[in-house]
Amino acid sequence: MPVFFEANKDMLIFTGAAAVKILVFLNAIMGFTALLTLAERKVSALIQDRIGPNRASVFGLTLNGLFHPVADGIKMVFKEDFTPGRAEKLLFTLAPFFALVPVLALFALIPFGDYIMISGYRLDLQIADLPLGLFFVLALSGLAIYGVFLGGWASKNNFALLGAMRGAAQMVSYEVVLGLTLVGLMMIYGSAGLQDMVRAQGKLLFGFIPAWGVVCQPFAFILFLTAAIAENKRTPFDLVEGESEIIGYFMEYSSMRFAAFMFAEFLEIILVSMLAATLFFGGWQVPYLHETGFIFPGGALLPVNHYLVAALQTGAFAAKTVAFSWFLLVVRWTLPRFRFDQMMGLCWKTLLPLALLNILMTGAVMLALGKI
Amino acid sequence: MISVKKVDNKPLNLLERIYLYEIARGLSVTMRHFFKNLFNPAGMPTVQYPEQTIPLAGNARFRTRHRLKIRADGSPKCVACFMCQTACPAYCIKIEAAEYPSNNVEKYPAVFNIDLSRCVMCGMCVEACPEDAIAMDTAEIPGGAAARAELMMTRETLLRNLPGEKPTLGASNRLANEYLGGKE
Repeated sequence: MPVFFEANKDMLIFTGAAAVKILVFLNAIMGFTALLTLAERKVSALIQDRIGPNRASVFGLTLNGLFHPVADGIKMVFKEDFTPGRAEKLLFTLAPFFALVPVLALFALIPFGDYIMISGYRLDLQIADLPLGLFFVLALSGLAIYGVFLGGWASKNNFALLGAMRGAAQMVSYEVVLGLTLVGLMMIYGSAGLQDMVRAQGKLLFGFIPAWGVVCQPFAFILFLTAAIAENKRTPFDLVEGESEIIGYFMEYSSMRFAAFMFAEFLEIILVSMLAATLFFGGWQVPYLHETGFIFPGGALLPVNHYLVAALQTGAFAAKTVAFSWFLLVVRWTLPRFRFDQMMGLCWKTLLPLALLNILMTGAVMLALGKI
Repeated sequence: MISVKKVDNKPLNLLERIYLYEIARGLSVTMRHFFKNLFNPAGMPTVQYPEQTIPLAGNARFRTRHRLKIRADGSPKCVACFMCQTACPAYCIKIEAAEYPSNNVEKYPAVFNIDLSRCVMCGMCVEACPEDAIAMDTAEIPGGAAARAELMMTRETLLRNLPGEKPTLGASNRLANEYLGGKE
């Protein structure tokens, strides 16, 4: 046995490190998702001058509603898991998985920190560093359409099907814009790997402005955010659900299957927030913080411990994610829903030409600056 | 003839059609509310009912929890005529009548239950009562109970006079009073 361990030491360390990273990162995300379901209700309440859920208590302790996600989960588990008589059983069962799995898989690509050295072993704070990570993100978010469409199709309900068709049309359309807005980023960073893109954002423009994506590509950021909210099926693009009209593709789902769709939606909020932070807000970059410590524009140095640097960077990434998630919640409770033709018009007639124009302008500026 | 209302919508100017500025304006409104309420939760108008109540402004204009009025001798004013039970659209009143041993004119309610979890607070029982025995003027708003049993009101919890209310002396029915007076 020791021979086996000795021979495969690198492999075993890599596997073990990957397993630990997956466990920690996924659990953090799951916890954050549960909190986000509460945050959605609390934020909407505060915006509407209400207090929001605050009654779930454990031994008389309410903590201003902190136990509501737990109560919701327990309630969902104990609800009746109903399958309509005429539904396609197999697809009906598969659809929640199709909704959940691509979103969860995408978190593997998110770099949540730079790296930590643990007794001479370099631990990259990213689960899977694919060289073409951005394309993988787009491919998998395209796969998420299956969850929506299968859910609506398999439940054999006209309203669910209507929601699913709206969802498929919307997601396919905005997928195009989402992809094209990111072309500009790939051009300026010269890479499609997410970790490389974050590292490239650590540089400084004119010696003092952090070269974050939002500084280099402000236009692409607005387009990306719009397309990402639409891809995420949230207000003002929530025609897929349209709570007041067609209830949506998951209307025949109950119990934990419904919770899976709901969970996938909240996971997508986090994913969009993390992508926006990674691509446009420097990911784990803290302004002026380098591997050895802070180097301020004036030349002042502030050395920082390696582990503290890693903690600061991961903390910065978490803070950016939380801020973006909060922003998405506020947007949802601010804007009214688009009409379907308005939404498709916005995608194909406005966002798509603007995204193409953005690519053109990026190329022109890069050519003028002699970067090509 | 169908009349069509012509709405003269103002055409959007460029800033409004770009929409981003309008989004920012909308966000400023919601964020203002968000932060105001986040840092000053006490400023919200919410009343944490049932732990916390606010005094009601006089009881003339709304119907509140029921009560059964009591006569001066302590007997209920109700004569168990079943009018309220018949009038109740929610079927939440349950009466069982009984007879006084010394009085064969009037009955009294041995059981008078109102299930507040079914009651719709319509006031039909008050309208129907020929004796003016049931009233909805306690200024207590029912609800907010943790168990259904807490919403079941019985004769004991219903029978009460308002503070300062002058109880009726005898029966309100003239014939009954004459009969009872004749017996004395």
